[in-house]
Amino acid sequence: MPNSDDFRVKRIHQLLLEMARGNFFYSLEPEEKNDNIASLVVMLNMVNEELRDSFIHQGFTNAHHTPQYMIQLSLLLDSNGRIEMVTNNSCSLLKCLPNDLIGKPLNDILSKPSQKKWNQKLPKLLKKEYHETVLKLEFVSSKGLLLTKDCNITVFQNLNTKESKILLDTVFFSKGEPFPKEKAANKLMVTKGTKDHKVRLSPKDIQIMRDVHDMIINNLENDLPRLKDLALQMGTNEYKLKYGFKQMYGITVFRFLTQERLRQAKTLILHSQHSLKQIARMTGFKSITHFSRAFKEKYGLPPSQVRR
Amino acid sequence: MKESHENAYAVYLLTDELLHIVYKRVPYIDLKAAQVIVKDRMMLQKGKEMPVLCDIRQVRKVDKPARDYFALEGSLWIRALAFLVDPPVTDVISSIYLGTHAQKVPTKSFIKKTEALRFLQYQESP
Repeated sequence: MPNSDDFRVKRIHQLLLEMARGNFFYSLEPEEKNDNIASLVVMLNMVNEELRDSFIHQGFTNAHHTPQYMIQLSLLLDSNGRIEMVTNNSCSLLKCLPNDLIGKPLNDILSKPSQKKWNQKLPKLLKKEYHETVLKLEFVSSKGLLLTKDCNITVFQNLNTKESKILLDTVFFSKGEPFPKEKAANKLMVTKGTKDHKVRLSPKDIQIMRDVHDMIINNLENDLPRLKDLALQMGTNEYKLKYGFKQMYGITVFRFLTQERLRQAKTLILHSQHSLKQIARMTGFKSITHFSRAFKEKYGLPPSQVRR
Repeated sequence: MKESHENAYAVYLLTDELLHIVYKRVPYIDLKAAQVIVKDRMMLQKGKEMPVLCDIRQVRKVDKPARDYFALEGSLWIRALAFLVDPPVTDVISSIYLGTHAQKVPTKSFIKKTEALRFLQYQESP
C-alpha cells in the first residue's frame, strides 16, 4: 500500500542508502499528508539538496581534490514518445534493465505532474523538423525514488525515413570514482606558475568564513574595510581570510561583494521604479560608469537594456 | 488603504502596516514560481519597505533554487518576516530554510497568527 507507514519508511530507507553511496540526485515524492513521516520526507529532500549543492560547489572551487563523476541519462524516443534506445547509465539510474524500458512510452517512467507536462509538450515538439529545448522532468526509478532534472530535448529527423526522433538527455553528478592517482592537479592548472594557496581551515576558521560571507550579503551597500582590518575584526588573519574565503566560495572577498551587489541591482532594475543612477548608489557603486561596466561584464548586457 | 493581488502561487493582501502573503496549494515551488512571487510582491510594495507575514501552511515543497532566490534576490524591501506554519511539515520547511540561509532581517516562524502579528508589530516599535 503506497500510503502505509511501512511503505513510506521503506522509501526513506532507499533514499538514505543512495545518499550514503554519494548519490544525491534522487528525491522522494512530496506528500499531501501533514504528519511526522511527511515532515521527515520534506526534511530529507531539503537536506539532500543542500548536500548535493555543496558537493558540486566543491567541485568548482577545489577541482584538484574532489572526486567527481558524471552520469549521463540518455534516451532516444520515436515520434510517439516510445523509448527506442537507452544507455547503460540511464538503466542504472532508473534501477532497471534496458528491456524494461525499450518499447515503453516515456510516460511509464515519469511522475504524474511530468506526464501531464510531457503529454502537452510532445505534439508541439514534433511540429518542427528540428527543435531544441530544455524541459524539467521528474523520472521515477523502479524503487520509487524521484530524479528531477532539466533535460535537453532535441528533435531531429531520421535521414532515411524522415521520421521524427527525440533525443532526451541530462547529466547527474555523483561522488563515484576518484580521479586516478597520478597528479591530475597539475594537468588542471591552467595558469602557468600560479601558486596553489591551500590553507588548512579549522572548523572555527570555516565558521569565520561563513560569517564574513553572511556579513557581506547583509551589508551590500557598505564598503568593506581593508582585508587586513576585516580579518582582524572577524578574528582571523589576512592570509587565511584571503585564501580561505576563495577556497570555500571559489571567489575572492571583493569580487564576491561586487557579484552580490550586481545581483541585487539586477533585481531592482527588473522590479523597481528607481533610476539606474539611484540603483547604482543603493548597491554601493561609486559611479554609474563603474556600475554599468561591471554589470555588462557579468550579465552580458548593459543595465539600460535589462530595464527594457 | 487595502490592496489585493493574486497569481498562480499566492494571494497578497497589502495594508498600510503590512503585507500578508498566503501561499496556495501547488505541487511545488521552483525557481520560476519564486521569481513570479517576488516580482508581484515588489510590484505591490512599490519600493516601500514593510513587515511581511508569509502564510506557508499549504506549501509542500520549495526546491533549492527557489529557496536561494527567496533568500538573495527575494529579500528586498522586507523589514521583518514572519512565517505562519502548521507543524510538522511546514515547520520543517521553515526551520531548514532559516537554518541554511543568512537572514538580513528579523525572521521567525509561528503557529498562531496573533503571535506572528505581535512579532511583526514589535519589530516596528519595540
